[in-house]
Amino acid sequence: MEDNFSSYHPVISFFFFLFVICVSMFLMHPVFLAISFFSAFSYNLILYGIKKTLKNNLLFILPMMIIIALANPMFNHYGVTVITYLPTGNPVTLETIIYGIAMATMFCEVLLWFACYNEVMTSDKFIYLFGKIMPSISLMISMTLRFVPMLRNHMRVIANGQKCIGRDTSNGKTTDKIKNGVKKVSILTTWALENAIDRADSMRSRGYGLKGRTAFSIYRFDKRDRAILIVMILLAITFFVGNSTGNCYVSYDPIVKVKGIPLDLYSCITFLSYLTFCMLPVIVDLYDKYKWKALRNNINKKENRGYRLWT
Amino acid sequence: MDLIKIENFSFSYPEAKKSALSDININFEEGSFNIICGTSGCGKSTLLRQLKTVLTPNGNKKGEIYFKGKPLSQIDERNQSSKIGYVMQNPDNQIVTDKVWHELAFGLESLGFSTSSIRLRVAEMASYFGIQQWFYRNVTELSGGQKQLLNLASIMAMHPDVLILDEPTSQLDPIAASDFLETIKKINRDLGTTVIMTEHRLEDIFPYATKIIVIDNGKKLIEGNPREAGEELRRLKHKMFLALPAPMQIASYVESDEKSPLTVRDGRNYISDIVTRKNYSVKEDMIREYLDKKGDSGLKIFDENSETSKEKPVLEMKEVWFRYGREYPDVVKGLNLSINRGEIYCLLGGNGTGKSTTLSLLSRINVPYRGKIFINGKDIRKYRDKELFTSFLGVVPQNPQSLFVKKTVELELFEMLGGPKERLNDDYNLSLDKKEIIENIAKVTRIEGLLSQHPYDLSGGEQQRLALAKILLLRPKILLMDEPTKGLDSFFKDEFAGILQTLKKHGVTIFMISHDIEFCARYADRCGMFFDGNLVTQNNPTDFFSGNSFYTTTANRMARSFFPKAVTVKDVIKCLKKEM
Repeated sequence: MEDNFSSYHPVISFFFFLFVICVSMFLMHPVFLAISFFSAFSYNLILYGIKKTLKNNLLFILPMMIIIALANPMFNHYGVTVITYLPTGNPVTLETIIYGIAMATMFCEVLLWFACYNEVMTSDKFIYLFGKIMPSISLMISMTLRFVPMLRNHMRVIANGQKCIGRDTSNGKTTDKIKNGVKKVSILTTWALENAIDRADSMRSRGYGLKGRTAFSIYRFDKRDRAILIVMILLAITFFVGNSTGNCYVSYDPIVKVKGIPLDLYSCITFLSYLTFCMLPVIVDLYDKYKWKALRNNINKKENRGYRLWT
Repeated sequence: MDLIKIENFSFSYPEAKKSALSDININFEEGSFNIICGTSGCGKSTLLRQLKTVLTPNGNKKGEIYFKGKPLSQIDERNQSSKIGYVMQNPDNQIVTDKVWHELAFGLESLGFSTSSIRLRVAEMASYFGIQQWFYRNVTELSGGQKQLLNLASIMAMHPDVLILDEPTSQLDPIAASDFLETIKKINRDLGTTVIMTEHRLEDIFPYATKIIVIDNGKKLIEGNPREAGEELRRLKHKMFLALPAPMQIASYVESDEKSPLTVRDGRNYISDIVTRKNYSVKEDMIREYLDKKGDSGLKIFDENSETSKEKPVLEMKEVWFRYGREYPDVVKGLNLSINRGEIYCLLGGNGTGKSTTLSLLSRINVPYRGKIFINGKDIRKYRDKELFTSFLGVVPQNPQSLFVKKTVELELFEMLGGPKERLNDDYNLSLDKKEIIENIAKVTRIEGLLSQHPYDLSGGEQQRLALAKILLLRPKILLMDEPTKGLDSFFKDEFAGILQTLKKHGVTIFMISHDIEFCARYADRCGMFFDGNLVTQNNPTDFFSGNSFYTTTANRMARSFFPKAVTVKDVIKCLKKEM
């Protein structure tokens, strides 16, 4: 599902994911974890829909979380609040349990963010970003992305062709199977190399290799891109400054120590800036949906008031 | 003014005894539409490649080529890249990048245009060629016709003065091909771009050309407007005569004072004129010359074929249903089909109606989820692979290259018999010498002169026949073919038909899928019309095509008001003779 945030310039999406994923990976403060998890999950909902999100997460992420949360107290024994002792004689402490849960949350929110990243940062956006820096690499990626599906397709054609002269790799003697398999690969290689000559001709005849090659892209950096970039930078600065004052400090060893709760002004600002940043895609998308609805209502009203009197 | 001028040009490949092109003089005027024709391997592609320096193969050149009055060798690569556009045969191989929009911009990127000017040109081209709908797609999702259109558009984006096309439609099905040719006409008409193309589908494009050039054996044989070229071909009794549009062919047999027609519309008037006034005569020598072709030498390898019962249909489908997956729609819907021993059966129909799927069911690549397929009265699923594919079914793949493994054509043929050593093995248990068999098969499939060449160096038609020869070495009783005439010029088609006739004499059943109406009308025993996963009608070609009003041959469309049963050029001539 195409959401509104995906339609922004690739630089915006890339900056967003870079920030969010890096920060999520290093901050273990429970409030941050909660914010990040909540935002990643809601963005997943928007991108994949309820059904698919739940399916993905319940199947993979939830079991993963439980395993990590349980594994930590099994192998780590720091902390002062001993709850019980394992049969081996090692203590199970409250601190390790809490840390395990925090780590599991972090792990899972990073995965959730990556799921969003996959959907938003398509190959052409990625190519575009790196094409700016290294034009030849970006062309190479683009050619590879063209080449792999083509080879796969050729392989299918060859396999069918060989099957129809009784040289299948799916049954028969093992030696025959190997022989036929090698034959297929050999055909594919010859084919690919022969076709590469055509491709080289086509590239040269369109001037590839001339000096001063440029990289074209379909993306434009608009006013809204600039606006959202400024907002993102301001939020990021606020967050870093707030964080560096130390009022969002957290420690799990030897005792759990969480600063910033109850909320004071500084921590409140820091949390809010992080929340806004993480929720940006969701906010943008929801605002867009709201606007559409408002516009449509408006049209309906006008129609009713105006010429469609008979309805 | 002459845009390109070729003066006393000769060319030979390194170490070749014969020169590929000799003493060629041609002028291409600005804004003209030129068609270069000739049989495969006559040197027309070599000639086209001389018109762009980066594509020119190595070899000895004599003479000069001028582009806008300047020798081509003095024009730098940048100018040549943008001013001389070149479209090649294979749509797939020319595409470089993975996205449609990127491909459109590729040439402009190379020339170093800025993003904003590329955006403008790409937008222009996408609108002109109707690419907007698939602008953001991956190129792998496109059909063959769309791919070739993309290649054309990406070249037109560079605003060339001349567009050179080397058999651009040979890999496309007829509908996509005629769309593509229409686009070329439109470019020539709207933008005044000079067009130089080689093409074997002359039917659509011949009347439109301003100049026809016929190349034969590396020499220019004929140069002139379509009518002149047609008359000249007739006078010379040249092979390329068979490639002419049907109205021209028909008119060539007729002696009358009417002007010979180029299009179907002209042709209808022509026939009604001559038939009502009855002031014509039919030249018989021509008929014998071209239309009665007989397969000559026999196929030795089939002599040892054991006879099978004649009454039963050799191939039978009963209520066959197929779909590609549970959630997909049905592709083949309750198909009943039976094919008799020793007949040539052609299945015709539009794209995406399930013809190729039917073929894949017959060749057991796919298995129906309901219904049964019988081969020689036995369920297809009960055969072992070896049994099925080495003595019953021969499947000629649409792309012959998927069969080639060896360095030379001869080794390629030996490979099917288990190597060049004269000893019996699983693959080979006949009493004949392998060498003898291969000579025989090469003769029948007319590749005997090519035995020492690399398979990839052969032309499309020759590759097709090599693939056929390989399959025939398996001694199939039933031959299944998917679009066997795709990419063949009319002369090769004729030869190919001769091979089919020979096979038929040996009792081989031939089942083929084709878009090629003219071919089916001439050579099939029965034709079937496929639509929506089922067979709509089947009949012998005469009744089949005379029953249709759109989906029929050019000759029939032209003559149907007088001779409704005349389907091929030959039929029309016969009718005209009777009428005389």
